[in-house]
Amino acid sequence: MKNVFYLLFISLTFTLSSCIEIIDDIAIKNDGSGTFKYTVNLSSSKIKINSILALDSLEGRRVPSLEEIQQKVAAFKSKLEGKPGISNVTLEENYNEYIFKLKCDFTNISALQNALKEVIQEESKEKNIAELEHTWLSWDGQKMGRSVPEFTIKKTKEFKQEEIDRLKEGNYTSISRFERPVEKFDNPSAVLSSNKLAVMIKTNPFVLSQNADVLENTIYLSPLKN
Amino acid sequence: MLNLKALNFSFVRSAVLFIILFVSSISFAQRSEDLIPKDAVTVFSINNFTLLQKISLDDLVKYEFMEEVQQELFDGSTSGKTMKDSGIDFDQKLNVFYGKGDEYEVSGFTFGIKNKADLFQVFDDFEQIESPYEGVEFYGSYFNNLIIKGNSALLIRVEPTMEKVDAATDSIWYARGNENPFDTYGLDEEENKEDVFEEEMPEESDIDSYNVPSLGEDPNQKNYYELRDSVQVVMQAAFLDKLCTELLIRKVNLVNYDNRFAQQLTHESEGIFYLDNSRSLQNAQGLWYFETMFPTLYEDIKELYTGNVMLGDLILHESSVEFKMEARYGPELGSIYEKMNDSKFDKHVLKYINKNNTAYFTYNVDMREAYEQAYKVIMPILTDEKNVQISTNVLTIELLNEFINKDALFNTYKGSMFGTFNGIKKIKTTKIEFSYDEETFEYIEKEVEAEEDLPIFTLGFTTDRGDIPEKVLNHLSRLTSRFKNKGNYWVYEDAILEAAPLYMLNKNGLFIFTNDEDLAVNHSDGYGAEALSRTEAKKSKKSGFMYGYIDWAKAIEKFPRDFFDERENEIIDAMRGKTGAMHLTTSETTKEKTTFELIYSFEGSYENSGKYLLDLLNSIYVMSK
Repeated sequence: MKNVFYLLFISLTFTLSSCIEIIDDIAIKNDGSGTFKYTVNLSSSKIKINSILALDSLEGRRVPSLEEIQQKVAAFKSKLEGKPGISNVTLEENYNEYIFKLKCDFTNISALQNALKEVIQEESKEKNIAELEHTWLSWDGQKMGRSVPEFTIKKTKEFKQEEIDRLKEGNYTSISRFERPVEKFDNPSAVLSSNKLAVMIKTNPFVLSQNADVLENTIYLSPLKN
Repeated sequence: MLNLKALNFSFVRSAVLFIILFVSSISFAQRSEDLIPKDAVTVFSINNFTLLQKISLDDLVKYEFMEEVQQELFDGSTSGKTMKDSGIDFDQKLNVFYGKGDEYEVSGFTFGIKNKADLFQVFDDFEQIESPYEGVEFYGSYFNNLIIKGNSALLIRVEPTMEKVDAATDSIWYARGNENPFDTYGLDEEENKEDVFEEEMPEESDIDSYNVPSLGEDPNQKNYYELRDSVQVVMQAAFLDKLCTELLIRKVNLVNYDNRFAQQLTHESEGIFYLDNSRSLQNAQGLWYFETMFPTLYEDIKELYTGNVMLGDLILHESSVEFKMEARYGPELGSIYEKMNDSKFDKHVLKYINKNNTAYFTYNVDMREAYEQAYKVIMPILTDEKNVQISTNVLTIELLNEFINKDALFNTYKGSMFGTFNGIKKIKTTKIEFSYDEETFEYIEKEVEAEEDLPIFTLGFTTDRGDIPEKVLNHLSRLTSRFKNKGNYWVYEDAILEAAPLYMLNKNGLFIFTNDEDLAVNHSDGYGAEALSRTEAKKSKKSGFMYGYIDWAKAIEKFPRDFFDERENEIIDAMRGKTGAMHLTTSETTKEKTTFELIYSFEGSYENSGKYLLDLLNSIYVMSK
């Protein structure tokens, strides 16, 4: 009877709405090196995540255990640590609130991009992921270009309406930081920090999935003083 | 005068002959149910005539479960055709059956034939095979067999159990001097592991390695899997022959093998259900260990389950669907059930069930009486077993029986309980938000209050020793600050999914678990005027050991959509907006049987209950696929 009660409880928690918050934060120094931070906050969905983890399978697919997720996350970190040009990789995992914070230093933008692409490719079952060909970061010392591959647009076409509604409730924040002031930027949705050293764009995962251009931005910096 | 006499005699003779022929045709006409093999353990029999009086065939074939039946019947080779074109006689019953024995599994259905030519227009994948049985036509397709006798047919699939196939294959394989076949392809354990996150198709190169024989292999010698396939085919034919000999020559079928099934078939309900639990138990995979290690004990347990059968009737009314199920059992098991279910209803539970609950149940048993009777019935069986392990267990049970304070145990947990589902409510929880500094866009974590929807459940147990759980709660509160005594109730913070509190009430002879803050804080002595109405309370009290209620309209709104795909959700959506209630009642339990009655009463725009039932069946079918 206890199991029936628990099962009923678990199944009904799926009626809950949930949302995700992502912060994508990149700081570039004048020499092109920098720090990349990626934060995923699922604390407002913790009941749902706990419910799912209590199940063996969902929609015909096996639900991994918490230990398996931890192993997978650790493997990602370990692989990233081994990539050239990447150092000081830290991964904070909060399994009470389901907040994950990845942080690493990079010697240049290409090293960061290559490292992430390689790890994603290694972790993926899919071979030759076309979206990984995309260059989402560029830096020439004077300006920085950011964009998002169309991968997510294709994926969200497979989503159910409820999932789309949940994506709309989420937040996606993209921050670019610099050592010298920003002179101007292309994206009208972006805002500049008061100290003029950071540019932020806020959107939600659904808008981002439908229009990758929403994060597309070229940020021009003030000339480097000798 | 003579002529008149002769005429009269001739008329009388003709009349008598006609009556004899008519009676003979009734008595000896082949009926579809006569082709159900005795190996069938579960049968659902539909009285088509009654059903189809209410449902048009064109509507019937639109249902997804009928599409599947058609696929099974027609093997997908006659797209666009319907049951209507199939030559099936809807005046005969359609009997769907399944059974699993020690040697083989059978599944299929039997039905009447109205027009054989039409039948084979759609059964075009079946080829006639020479029949070894007189008066019987035999047809076969890749998987299925179609057997026609008179105007009835049996569509059957016989599959030997994998244990039998593997045992025979292994025996032949090793007798030929072969090595362990599972090392052949060089797959180590790690590679065979199920992928944790995704299923994927094998690489083309992997597939090749399975199919292409190695250079050292003898092309005339079968590999293990080919051998197993051959063994399976041979066994399949042998078991089909065994089944057919019994059914068609010895004329043993389920109707004459089990009188209870024969009796059930005489019911004039729209459908009948039969499940022989005793045979189900014998064939349960989990009992093989018992059967092997403790054969005497296994035989005794089988004996205990003798006569255990479920017999059901499905009855359609204009505004309700009724499902009556009779659970029959042998005298020994019956004596335990009778004692267990002979319990006084605990009326305290009624005040904790809100009249607006979406669903609730009451369960009324006496665990003490059940324990004592089970001890009387089961212990002699265990004591007779001459096995060290069993003897040790018997001694342990006997010592526990002597030393344990059964009064304290069974007064704490008496066995009766109730449960409610109070719908979805907002509960207070917390979440982490990031707040940004406008100067630098640096961000910090901040815990904020949040609200989340949560299903609200209550589960309560009758107890005469509330002091015992109170001792446990007091102890737990000393161990962790998450356990708090709030006077009228206890609260365990973040107990549910690490996010929501669980409340415990220990009052009025009940120990209640709930995540309903309103119940704990405002109604610790019950709902008062908001509790169940007298009429509803009376129904619950009058029912046997169990009573259940679901407000279908409210429950369907709370269906967990995430569990189903888009197509399944369409069916659920179609059910939304229709009102109805399900009531489950039980009879008094006797040594012989307990009767369960599930009535689904509804209001809605449906033409008749048959259509409503088919919508329901279709929903269940789609969901369970």
